[in-house]
Amino acid sequence: MHTRITHILAILLAALSLSCDSYLDLRPENGTVRQEFWQTKEDVQAAVVGIYSAMLNTPPSENDLTLAEYIFMYGELRGGMVAPGAFTSNDQSDIITTNILPSNSITTWSQFYRIINYCNTVIDLAPGVLEIDPTIESSELNNYISEALAIRAYLYFTLARSFKDVPLKLDATLSDGDNFQLPATPQDQIFAQVLTDLNEAERLSVEDYGNVPENKGRITKYAINAMQADVHLWMENYQEAIVAADKVINSGQFELIDASPQWFNIVFAQGNSTESIFELQYTPENRNPFYQIFLQQPQYLAAPPVLEEVFGVDFDDPENKDVRGERASLVPGTNEIYKFTGLNENQRKALQESDTHWFVYRYADVLLMKAEALNELGNGEEAIAIIENLRETREAIDQTQEFVTPEDQDNIRLYILAERAREFAFEGKRWFDVLRNARKNNYENLDILLGVALRSAPASQQQSILAKLRDPNSHYLPINTFELFTNKALTQNPFYN
Amino acid sequence: MKTLFRPSLYTLTLLVVFTGLVLSCTEEKYKESTDETLNITEFLRANEEEYSLFLEILDVTDYASFMNTYGTYTLFLPTNDAVNQYLSDLGASNVADVPMEDLQELAKLHIIDEVFTTVQFNDGKIATPSLQGQFLITGAVNRDGQSNITVNKDARIISSNVEVGNGVIHVIDKALEVADQTLAETIDEDPSLSLFAELIRETGWYDTLDEPLTYDQDSISSHVSVLAQTNEVFQEAGFNTLNDLKERYSHLDDPTNPLDSLNLYVAYRIIPELDYLADLAVKSVVLTKAPLEVISVKLASDSLLLNEETFNGVFEPGVQINRSQSDVTASNGVLHYVNDNFFIKKRFPAPVYFDVADQPEFRQLSSVFRKPGNYADLSRSELSEVTWEGNAAFRLGYLAAATGDGAQLSQAWHGDVVELLRHRTGVINNLEFTTPVLIKGRYKVWVSYRQNGRASSSVRALFNGEALPRLINFTEYGNTDLPERVLESQGYKRHLNITTSRFNSRLAGIIEVPTTGRHTITLESLAYAGGPSWIDVIEFRPVDMDQLYPKMEAGGDGLIDE
Repeated sequence: MHTRITHILAILLAALSLSCDSYLDLRPENGTVRQEFWQTKEDVQAAVVGIYSAMLNTPPSENDLTLAEYIFMYGELRGGMVAPGAFTSNDQSDIITTNILPSNSITTWSQFYRIINYCNTVIDLAPGVLEIDPTIESSELNNYISEALAIRAYLYFTLARSFKDVPLKLDATLSDGDNFQLPATPQDQIFAQVLTDLNEAERLSVEDYGNVPENKGRITKYAINAMQADVHLWMENYQEAIVAADKVINSGQFELIDASPQWFNIVFAQGNSTESIFELQYTPENRNPFYQIFLQQPQYLAAPPVLEEVFGVDFDDPENKDVRGERASLVPGTNEIYKFTGLNENQRKALQESDTHWFVYRYADVLLMKAEALNELGNGEEAIAIIENLRETREAIDQTQEFVTPEDQDNIRLYILAERAREFAFEGKRWFDVLRNARKNNYENLDILLGVALRSAPASQQQSILAKLRDPNSHYLPINTFELFTNKALTQNPFYN
Repeated sequence: MKTLFRPSLYTLTLLVVFTGLVLSCTEEKYKESTDETLNITEFLRANEEEYSLFLEILDVTDYASFMNTYGTYTLFLPTNDAVNQYLSDLGASNVADVPMEDLQELAKLHIIDEVFTTVQFNDGKIATPSLQGQFLITGAVNRDGQSNITVNKDARIISSNVEVGNGVIHVIDKALEVADQTLAETIDEDPSLSLFAELIRETGWYDTLDEPLTYDQDSISSHVSVLAQTNEVFQEAGFNTLNDLKERYSHLDDPTNPLDSLNLYVAYRIIPELDYLADLAVKSVVLTKAPLEVISVKLASDSLLLNEETFNGVFEPGVQINRSQSDVTASNGVLHYVNDNFFIKKRFPAPVYFDVADQPEFRQLSSVFRKPGNYADLSRSELSEVTWEGNAAFRLGYLAAATGDGAQLSQAWHGDVVELLRHRTGVINNLEFTTPVLIKGRYKVWVSYRQNGRASSSVRALFNGEALPRLINFTEYGNTDLPERVLESQGYKRHLNITTSRFNSRLAGIIEVPTTGRHTITLESLAYAGGPSWIDVIEFRPVDMDQLYPKMEAGGDGLIDE
């Protein structure tokens, strides 16, 4: 009896232990786990390429808008130059009219944090490869880390400009055990961290990848310098902004292209011109979202006054026009936004070749940032020279010229802002430009922002809108309800209570 | 061994079976509700430390139960501090001291029978009145650098859009008050309006403004909006006493007579509808109690201007509304304040030569607009002042023909015409233009066009939807033989300063423009069209004016006198 039971038990045990083997294995069948990934330099490269790829289009597993669309919405909807089109969602038009609720879907920041996490992963895990793979050199590794640092910095910079205080996560989220209950970090600390990252990125950076598409499509030292100038302007460190801008200007790598009938095609339709510093490289195989949102089912139009007030119209001589206006930024009459769908002055691209890039930094941006810093430091003369030089290359018309004296700091500031509106129309910069200028010196120039709001406010809401915008907290977006629900450490911007 | 093993196995089996039986008997607890969201009253009970007093009001008035039923409500919820403030203002120590009726009105004023989130608020009234019947007005204020949305001007929303099962709650820091005074009483109460109060008494309008709110058989309310003037504004215009006003305006010496100018002066300040400033801001013209007299409203940047117009090239500055003082709710309407004295503008009909191609959107196309040899077309949704029926795919064309073109289209006034691909049902029909401002009066309407044998042969013009007597035949050539005055007597003329058969002008009829302002003129084709129609200009000439001169310069911008 005893032995029989022991036998049966032994057989059962053997059977069980043999059959257990495969289904207790928790590793995914169709993916790679971390322990098997970060092994070779190709893995690091793939991870960095993955970051750029996520900036172009959302991974197929996620249902989200692209990064460029978010930057467009955050940077343009409240800037007074965009009007709702036939396919605008309610959430989008509520942002245009400063009627924002925390439940507004456009305030989700998951796209930003997704890419930030990709960057964090590279920054955390790539150094380990150095020990495993002898073929990777530390300089090469540094370059990759520089790219990840700079992109992360730019994303945090954009988040802090849009939401003010946001959670700052600088290490990779690798398992469910990580702490997701992060409180928000104040805006100035985010800016400081962004600068630290950019400085480190600059130290590790690449100046030249050896070919144009990579020089314009990946982070170079000059892209980092442009970001530094931008952050310094926001922090009102004007001297440092000039230093950073000068690094780009003195590099000799960039120049403005003279206005000509081909100008639009070279700078925008083709992209990667000598004017370009950093662009998101859409290709016919990996197309941009702009064809749909500006042309096929237009979500946005240029606001009706843009043509006349921003670019100016010479009613006596239609040939006399700003190269950046008609059929570059917009189509007159229909007010279609043309910058990202046009091929040249007369033709649009076809859907299958809609590969116009998203322009993160262009050379003119650096020039005008320098002008802005110079003006704030009281050097109006040089600032005006920069503007006039740019206007000349762009064939800006007399109707938009302003006659300001070098001492007239306030009006030079407005002139630069107006020039930026012409130069970067619909490139996702307008609202940030308005806000940056308005908040200077403890909101000394709030009138600029109110003026912009007044022009685009619906007649029946303008008084409420003005009163709301007098509260600086209203200049930032609310934290989305969903984020508040999942992350209890966050507190809502008090304006949206 | 055996004896030991067997009984224990047996007992064990029994035990297992028994336990199984016992367990299977217990009833499983299912969750019966699908939604845990609280309704309004439950929400108040759950947050009693903050809202107990308003809950008490709901309990006392018996509204607590219906606020807990399913529905779509918006509740403006005053905090306990707010209700305490309201009670102490009344001199009451607790809710029970307040008369039942007042409590009911108060509770109803805080509830709207529809869901409104703050996104739907504007600078004026919420579209649906509260259950009490009065409209609530919204806005925003900035105090100490912090901005809040407000309700009825001074109650600030401190927590907005709290979603509950049967609607939405906005927490406010001040209880709303029922406006129980009529407009007349409100005017009486403001010492700075003493002269205006005397004036409305003298002219007999006081009683009208003192009437309680009524609804007619179509349930249209008797709300009115009053544009009041302070003593200071009167003084600036040189009126210190009622007698000064009488002397200036009362031409019949009988201010109660509706024909007396002083009576009209007051009537012109009363708008027969409920217009908060936000409502005025989106209207271009409002009617007044002065028969057929209107006030035009213009929003310039952030100020509201009344009667600002350019007539015959002369700019007339408008009268500004005092924004901060206005929007005073009364039980039968709303009171606004103006910054200057104003009166009905006496204007005589003036001719309007309406170049239909001069649409703001075409004008934006600077390389096309009035540049010979260019063409553009825009869709219905892109044009703000033209609309038509028919297929949305068909667009309205703008044609500035090349100088000296064979079809002589360049001879049109300003050298441009609008082109209707096919003026017929199914393509473009019932083409409706918003006219420029027409001054009240009687006009002859002339429609001038470029003849086309394939255009519609029978087109009816309608002014404000009323058909004019004569049909226009777009296939008809201009007559080049008859003397002009004879031609005019037959309802035709040559509107250009050249003699050509290609263009023709047809008198569509005589219209009565009831009010000064912008109106609509519609062209309805009653026939088939196989080719395009080209319209040059629609003239509105006062009946007592020469109908032939000035003529329009062919291919130019001028007006040519005889």
